[in-house]
Amino acid sequence: MNPYILSATGPHIKAKTTTANAMRDVLVALIPITLVSVYFFRAYAIFLISVCLTTAVLTELLFRHYMKKKPTLRDGSALVTGLLVAMCFSATTSWWRGALATFIAVGIAKELMGGLGWNRFNPALFGRVAIILLAPWFVAINASLSPWSLNLGPVDVMTHATPLAMLQQGMSLPSYTTLFLGFPGGAMSEASVLAVLIGAAYLIYRKLINWRIPAAMLSTVFVFTLLLGKDPVYHLLTGGLMLGSFFMATDWVTSPINNRGKVAFGVLIGLSIVVFRVILAPTEGVAFSILIMNAFVPTIERLTRSRTFGHVKATSPLSRMVRTRESTAS
Amino acid sequence: MKSKTFRQGGHIPHFKSDTEHQPIVTLPVPERVIIPLSQHIGAPCDPLPDVRVGDRVTVGQPIGMGKGLCAPVHASVSGYIEAIEERPHVCNRNIMSIVIRREGDDTWNEVAGKGIDELSAQEIVDIIGQAGIVGMGGAGFPTRVKLSPPPNKHIDTLLLNGAECEPFLTSDHRYMLEHGEDVILGLKAAMKATAAQRAFIGIEDNKPDAIAHLQSLTAQDSNIAVVPLETKYPQGGEKQLIYSILRREVPTGGLPMDVGAIVQNIGTAVAISEAVKWRKPLIERVVTLGGPGVLQKGNYLVRIGTPLSYLLDKCGVERDCGVRVIVGGPMTGVVQSDLEAPVIKTTGGVLAFTPEFGRRTDAYSDCVRCGKCVEQCPMYLYPNDLGLLAEAERIGDLDRRHVLDCIECGLCSYVCPSNRPIVQFIKLAKPAVWAHRNRLATGSGR
Ligand code: SF4
Ligand code: SF4
Repeated sequence: MNPYILSATGPHIKAKTTTANAMRDVLVALIPITLVSVYFFRAYAIFLISVCLTTAVLTELLFRHYMKKKPTLRDGSALVTGLLVAMCFSATTSWWRGALATFIAVGIAKELMGGLGWNRFNPALFGRVAIILLAPWFVAINASLSPWSLNLGPVDVMTHATPLAMLQQGMSLPSYTTLFLGFPGGAMSEASVLAVLIGAAYLIYRKLINWRIPAAMLSTVFVFTLLLGKDPVYHLLTGGLMLGSFFMATDWVTSPINNRGKVAFGVLIGLSIVVFRVILAPTEGVAFSILIMNAFVPTIERLTRSRTFGHVKATSPLSRMVRTRESTAS
Repeated sequence: MKSKTFRQGGHIPHFKSDTEHQPIVTLPVPERVIIPLSQHIGAPCDPLPDVRVGDRVTVGQPIGMGKGLCAPVHASVSGYIEAIEERPHVCNRNIMSIVIRREGDDTWNEVAGKGIDELSAQEIVDIIGQAGIVGMGGAGFPTRVKLSPPPNKHIDTLLLNGAECEPFLTSDHRYMLEHGEDVILGLKAAMKATAAQRAFIGIEDNKPDAIAHLQSLTAQDSNIAVVPLETKYPQGGEKQLIYSILRREVPTGGLPMDVGAIVQNIGTAVAISEAVKWRKPLIERVVTLGGPGVLQKGNYLVRIGTPLSYLLDKCGVERDCGVRVIVGGPMTGVVQSDLEAPVIKTTGGVLAFTPEFGRRTDAYSDCVRCGKCVEQCPMYLYPNDLGLLAEAERIGDLDRRHVLDCIECGLCSYVCPSNRPIVQFIKLAKPAVWAHRNRLATGSGR
């Protein structure tokens, strides 16, 4: 870069938002749900979160050291990924699963892809889903590591089945209010919709996430579960949907960069979630759906690209297709 | 009345409170002025044949002229010509300039001219041309040329740009408040020159006093309307202003006249009015002196050719402790490498930034795809991609992604959380893209 152009030409003022303080704000936004988790799951939550955070930091240090890159711990993205991974697990998950998921998230899904900004998939979800897919291999590991598993005291609420599974099995469900305020079942992030929403409100207030993605996702899920004769409110309140729509699908790096693309992305994820929940597996539909759509982000961006000011012809292939069809029809 | 606006753009801090209520103060005339022969877009002037070192000149006398896209320059003080040589210029290069050592009376003697009703359109254009008036908002396009559109372009609307969307700058604001009559007179002269049937004065709604004042001055004029505009950057960009007020989009590569509009700057309107009233050439202008490094912040009436160093010393700027001096606004202005460069016709503001103020580091990191630049680019470009393509010097791709439509407003670099110097990359790459286009054009012509 030409040093003269860089330092002499404008702009000479700068917006306050940097990647580092954006990440710090995401951590702040995760405080409410973290506190709720600790309230419900006590030492288990504290332990799993600590394991994930530590693994995240160590993994990033390790990978960047061996890839001979500048350390970027100060951007805080490792901590965010670590905390998000922890939130995707139930508190009693064995510690090595959390550690392995975080290692895969930060090491493989982020650093090996080229570091923050180049990763195609949401790191935290990638780590989480890797553990699900690798599960069959873990039986042996689990047995051999079981002597080291911790017993941090009884937490009776842990025996709850996840509400989504209960829904699937036709069990009677906790009330809307209970689900909204706090119901310990499933992953830690699912313990309280309210806590996730408080954090989300903070992110929107700080203009760090774009409301279009969660709005499109949630309304799509609502409409289609309603059309399919399910209870849309339960579907909104259960599973990782809230954390997924406000904290995962809105991830800067792995969502479309343009507003129209964000809406399309949210709708597609919403549709996919409905398909997963209604037809396929009862749980983890959110994680799989977001990851699948992550892969389509470049395509979505290309199809929804806006025209440049002063240009008549739309540059997006989709609108070109529509236009040619219109012109042939006439 | 609801403020009009354009799509996208961004809200940036205004930093105007220090100077917006400061009345215009006339700065004492310096001992020496430096009149660059190029203060506009287009061909530079040549010194007139009877202007030689040692000659005496009087204030307002033309000393440089040129042909075509050009505007003459005038002596802004009376005195003796000390040198005709290359001198530092606010564009950070050395430019051929005429240096005048001051001696004698510097007051411009008003020559009472005819009223605009008695002047023909061509006479108005000639007066403006002789007065050396250029667009005073930044680029410096010769006003005579702007007001003489080719006959196949029908101009129906004149727009007066009172947006003043750059932070810190308040000179246009003060012109509107203190020289409102001149603003309107200059506007009417320009309307007559172009035969435009109507005019709009667009003013950002953070200047309600200016909006009210000009509204009261134009209450009798059915064909002039004051339009409050949303305070949003870059509202004062020519294409944005036209879109905000007229809902017309200047086509790519085109000019405002392609959509029937001509845009004039506020300071330019005042200069036109003074030229028409008194035959006064453009020898002085209002400059905002602002920024945390300035003790006596304010709006000063300054002779063209006044060295920045003189201006800064008069207004109490500590120059030694790492202060950056910016000519223009903080979004598009240029940091000066030599403070002996003079105020020119397009200098609306001089800012002094202390080391701890503003953009403090040039270090940048990878794009994290936050989308802020895409959401705010007033030209609906994808600055993130343009930045990456420019960094990789992929010239053909840059052209396909319309890099030449970038108006270099700087918003993308301003918002980027990774501090990526996007507009800087674009500025560097544009000449290569032009060259690429020319190569293609000549290649296909063979
Ligand atoms: S500088 Fe160019 S690319 Fe950047 S926001 Fe302004 S017009 Fe868009
Ligand atoms: S503002 Fe910077 S980080 Fe955000 S998308 Fe644009 S280039 Fe990337």
